[in-house]
Amino acid sequence: MKFSNAVTYLSCLAMICACVGCEPTSSTSTTTSQNVQSTLLGEININGSSTVLPISNAIKEMFEKGNPKVDIKVSGDGTGNGFKDFYSKRTDISDASRPIKPGEFEKCKEAGVEFVEIPVAYDGLTIAVHPENDWAEQLTVDQLKKMFVGDGHAKTWKEVDPSWPDEEIKIFAPGTGSGTYDYFREVVTKGEEEELHQNMSLNEDDNVLVQGVSGNKYSIGFFGVAYYEANRDSLRAVQIVNPKDGQAYLPTTENIAANKYAPFSRPLFIYVNTESLNRAEVQAFVNYYLENVSAACEQVGYVRLPAEILDAAQANLENIVTGTHFVDADGNSRSGALADNFVADNLTK
Amino acid sequence: MSIPKALQDRKFRSTSTGRLWEKLLVGLLAGCAVVTILITVGIIAMLVTQSWGFFASDAVTLEGFFWGKEWTALQSKDLDKARFGIGPLVSGTLRVTVIAMMIALPLGLVTAIYLSEFASSRIRNFLKPTLEVIAGIPTVVLGYFAILVISPSLQFLSGGELFDTFNATSAGIAVGILCLPMVCSLSEDAMRAVPRELREGAYGLGCTPFECSVKVVVPAALSGIISAFLLAFSRAVGETMVVALAAGTLPTFSADPTQQAQTMTGFIVEMIKSENEYGTVQYFSLYGVAITLFVITFAMTLAGQLIRRRFKESYA
Amino acid sequence: MSMPAALTDQDEVFQAENAAKRKRLSRVFYGVCVSIAMLSIVVLVVLLLSISWQGKTRLSSDLLRNAHSELEIEKAGMSPAIIGSLCICGVCAFAALPLGVGTAIFLEEFQPTSKPLRWLHGFVQLNIANLAGVPSIVYGLLGLSVFVFMFNVFGRIQVNESSGLELTGVTHFYQLLSLESGQTVLVPRTDLQQKTIKLESPTAGFSPSGAPIQIGIWEPGTPKPTDVNVRRRTVRKGALGGAYSKHAWYYFRLPFGQSFLAAGLTLALVILPIIIISSQEALRSVSPSLREASLGLGATRWQTARNVTLPAAMPGIMTGSILAMGRAIGEAAPILVVLGAAVAKNSGPQHLMDSVVTMPVLIFNWAGRQQHEFKELAAAAIIILLIVLLVLNSIAIFIRQKMQQPG
Repeated sequence: MKFSNAVTYLSCLAMICACVGCEPTSSTSTTTSQNVQSTLLGEININGSSTVLPISNAIKEMFEKGNPKVDIKVSGDGTGNGFKDFYSKRTDISDASRPIKPGEFEKCKEAGVEFVEIPVAYDGLTIAVHPENDWAEQLTVDQLKKMFVGDGHAKTWKEVDPSWPDEEIKIFAPGTGSGTYDYFREVVTKGEEEELHQNMSLNEDDNVLVQGVSGNKYSIGFFGVAYYEANRDSLRAVQIVNPKDGQAYLPTTENIAANKYAPFSRPLFIYVNTESLNRAEVQAFVNYYLENVSAACEQVGYVRLPAEILDAAQANLENIVTGTHFVDADGNSRSGALADNFVADNLTK
Repeated sequence: MSIPKALQDRKFRSTSTGRLWEKLLVGLLAGCAVVTILITVGIIAMLVTQSWGFFASDAVTLEGFFWGKEWTALQSKDLDKARFGIGPLVSGTLRVTVIAMMIALPLGLVTAIYLSEFASSRIRNFLKPTLEVIAGIPTVVLGYFAILVISPSLQFLSGGELFDTFNATSAGIAVGILCLPMVCSLSEDAMRAVPRELREGAYGLGCTPFECSVKVVVPAALSGIISAFLLAFSRAVGETMVVALAAGTLPTFSADPTQQAQTMTGFIVEMIKSENEYGTVQYFSLYGVAITLFVITFAMTLAGQLIRRRFKESYA
Repeated sequence: MSMPAALTDQDEVFQAENAAKRKRLSRVFYGVCVSIAMLSIVVLVVLLLSISWQGKTRLSSDLLRNAHSELEIEKAGMSPAIIGSLCICGVCAFAALPLGVGTAIFLEEFQPTSKPLRWLHGFVQLNIANLAGVPSIVYGLLGLSVFVFMFNVFGRIQVNESSGLELTGVTHFYQLLSLESGQTVLVPRTDLQQKTIKLESPTAGFSPSGAPIQIGIWEPGTPKPTDVNVRRRTVRKGALGGAYSKHAWYYFRLPFGQSFLAAGLTLALVILPIIIISSQEALRSVSPSLREASLGLGATRWQTARNVTLPAAMPGIMTGSILAMGRAIGEAAPILVVLGAAVAKNSGPQHLMDSVVTMPVLIFNWAGRQQHEFKELAAAAIIILLIVLLVLNSIAIFIRQKMQQPG
C-alpha cells in the first residue's frame, strides 16, 4: 500500500514537472485543425445571469479553441448584478435571464451605454424536489405562492395540501440578484411587488441549490432547466399546472418550445455594449455566439429559439440596432411571449 | 597605541559613511517593523471607514444590530424589509465553534498530556509529524472532507433525516479537526515548560502518573492551556472555507446543530460572491459583520497572548 | 503539629485498596491517552484514504494538462490553477520574506535600551502575535481596499474607457479584421481619447505577432487580392478598428485590479506574521555566546546580525518560511475576496495584472457542485494540492538538514 502510494506520488510529481514545462503549448495543442490559427487578440468581459452562464461558458470554450489569444472572462453573479456591471462599464456583454428592466435601462442611458439586445435561448425554470418526494407530483402557481410568499407562508408540506406529510419545507432559492429569482417572484406573485419570504437558503451558485435539494427529502428549490438536466439522477422535476389549459407539464424540450410549460418558460438574452462591438474580438465573439448558440444551448440543456427570432437578432446585430424591445416609451415593462415582443415596432432607444 | 595590522584594513575601520550606512540599514529594518503596525492600523481604518456606510444608514440601529434576531441582508433587495440583526450569524458561528471546541479541546489536551508525559520518543517522532501534517492541510480540503465524509456519515448514523446536507455539526467537526493540532502543540509547549522538579516531587509523594499529570502538571501549565484554548477559539471563529462549503447559507437564530448555520465568515463570502452593488447598505453590512468578527477574534487573541506572556514569565 | 488524618489512620486494607484503585485509574487514563492520541492518526488516514478513493479515477495527465471545462468535464484539468498558485506563491515570497525576516532581525537583534523603547518593542511584539490571529478573510477585505481598488484614487477600471494609471509595459493599438478570415492587423494608437479608427488609406502597422507591415486597402467592388499573405495585411476600405492593448509581462498599472499581483500581496499580509514569528524563534535559538563574541570583537550590531546570527539562524528561517508558503498555497478565503470565484481561465497569468485561478479556489468551486465528475475532480485536485505541499515540506526538511551539516 505504502509503496504503491509512493509510486503514484512520484509519477504525479513527474507529471507536474512535465506539465509546468510544456504549459505554453497546452492551449494551442487542443485547437481544432484550422488551416491557419486565428490571430485575433483581446479581452472580453462578461457577467450576468448564472442561468445563461453555462451557454456563455460553452461558447467561450468553443470560441477560444479557434481564437486562443482572446481572453474571455465569464462570471455568473446574477442578472441584476450583471446589469450593474454593464452600466458601470465593467463588462462588454451582459448575460440576462430576463429582459432589461426600465430602471436598468435608464441607468444605461445615463451612463451613455448603448446596447444590442439579443435573445439566445429558451429556458424552463424548473421546480425541483428530492427524488424520494412522492407526494408533490404536480404543483399549481397558487400552491407555490403559498410556499414562497408572504409572512403567513406555509411552513410544512401539510399546510399546502392536507394529504402531504407534516414536515418542514426546506427551500433553496437563487440569490436576489439573479434573474431566476426575479422571474419566479414575478410569476408567483402575479406581478405584484411582493418579495419572497425570508425563511429560505439563498445562493447565487445554482450548484449549491442542487446539492441542497438533493440532500433532504423535504426540500424544494428552483433554478434553470440546465442544472436539472445535469443532475437528473439526484433531483425530480415537478409538473407545473398551466393556468391556461389546466394541464400539468414537465419542463421538457418539447413543452418549453411549444409554450406549454407556462408560466415558467422564459427567453434568455445577452446584451452587447455597442462601443465594445467596435472591437474586432467582441464582434467576432458575438457573431460566433449567434451562429452557435442553438447547438450549444441544447448541449447544456436549454431549448433553441425559432429561426425567425434568431434571424431578426442577427439582423439587429449587423445593423447595430440599439435599444430594448421590452420597455415601452413610457418606461413600463412589456410582458408576454418573446415572439410577440421581439419585433422592430417595439424597439425603444 | 598601535592598531593591530589586521584591523588597519579599510574594511574593518569605522568610517563616517560606514556609520551612515549602518544607520540607514537599521532604519530600514525598523521600517519593516513599522509596516506590521501599519497593517493593523490599515485593517482597523478600513473596517471602520467601510462599516461607517453601514452603521450610518437609517435602516440600521446599533441596538438592532447587536440584539436583532433576523439577518436578511442577502434575502432582501428592498432596504425597508431588510433586517440587520447579527444574532443569527453569531448563533451560527457559535454553534460551529462550540462543536469544534468540543472536539478540539478534550482531544487536543489529552493528546498533549500523552505527548508531554507518557509518549516514548519513538511515538513522539511519529505523532508530532502527523499532527503537523493535519495542521498543514488546507482548510478547503477539510471543507470538502466535511461534505464528502462527515455529513453523509452523520446522516447515516442518525438514520437519515435528522441532519441537513449542510449542517453546523459537520462543519464544526471539520473545524475541530483543524484546531486540534493547534490546541495540542500550544498546550504541550506549556506542559513541557513545567519544571521537572514539580513532577519529581509529585511522584516522590506517591502520585500515580494520572494524578501527577492531571493534578500537578495541568494546573501548573493552566495559563498556557487556557491561552491555547483562547487562540483555538479565535481560529475557529475566523475559519472561512470549511463553513462556506459545509455549513449552509441560511442565517437562523437557533441552537439546533443539525440545521444549516450561516456564520459570520460564511456570510462575508456569500456577500462577496453575490456582488451586491458596491455602496448599498446590504453590501456594507459585510463590513459591519467583518468588524464584529475582527473585534471578537482580536480580543480572544489578545487575551490569549497576555495570559501566555504572564505564564512565560513565571517559569523563565 | 498535628498529623493529617490520612497519615495517622493507617488502615492497611483501605490503603492497599485505595492504591490499587488509583493505579487502575491511572492505567485507564493511560489507555484513554493512547487511544485519543492515535485518533488523530486515524482521522488523517480516513481523510487521505477517502479523498484518494474518490479522486483516483481522475488522476490522469488530463488533470495536469488541461484547463477547467464546462463542456468536456471528463477532460477538465487544473493546469492554469497549478501555475497560478505557484505564481502567487512567488509574489508572496518576494514580498513577505524580506519584510518578515527584516522585522524579525530588528526585534531580536536590536533590543531596546530605554524604557519607552522597550514598551514600543513589546507593543510591536504583541501586535504581531495579534496579526497572526486575525482571520484571513479580513486580510482579504484589506487587500480588496488597498490593492484591488487602491481606495479608487486612480479611478476605476472600465471597459472601453479607463484602465487606471498605466505606468509601463503597455502598447496601444487598433485592431482591424483583415480580408483573410480570423486574421487581424494592428495600427498604432497614439490618441487615447480616440477609441476607434476608420481606415481609408494604406498605413504602416503591425502584424499580431509584432512584425511591422504595410497595411493595404481593398476598395469594395474591385477584385479582392488572391494571395493569402496579401489578404492578411489588407483591410476593407473604411473598416472600423477597435482599441486593443498589448501587455508585456511587466505590465504595471494602478490600481492593481483583480490581478494576481494583488492576490499575492494580500497573501503576503496573511503569512507575514507567521514568517516573523518563526524567524524570531530561529534567531532566538542562536546561542547568545556567538552574538556576544562578535560584539566583543568590536563588530556593530548590524555586522553581528549580518555575519553571525543570520547565517546561524538561516536553516530555521528557511524552514519556517517554506511552511508559511505552504499555508499561502492552501489559503482560499482571501483569494475568493480579492479575485472572486471565477475559475474559467485557460492559462496561467500572462502579465502582472492578469487574473489567475488558484488550486484552492478551483477545489472550492468543484467541491460545491453536484455532478459526481466534479466531485471526483475536486478530490483529484486535492491530491495534487497535497502533493505540492508535500514537495514544499520535503524541500524545507532538505534545506534544514543540508544547512545543519557542520562546515
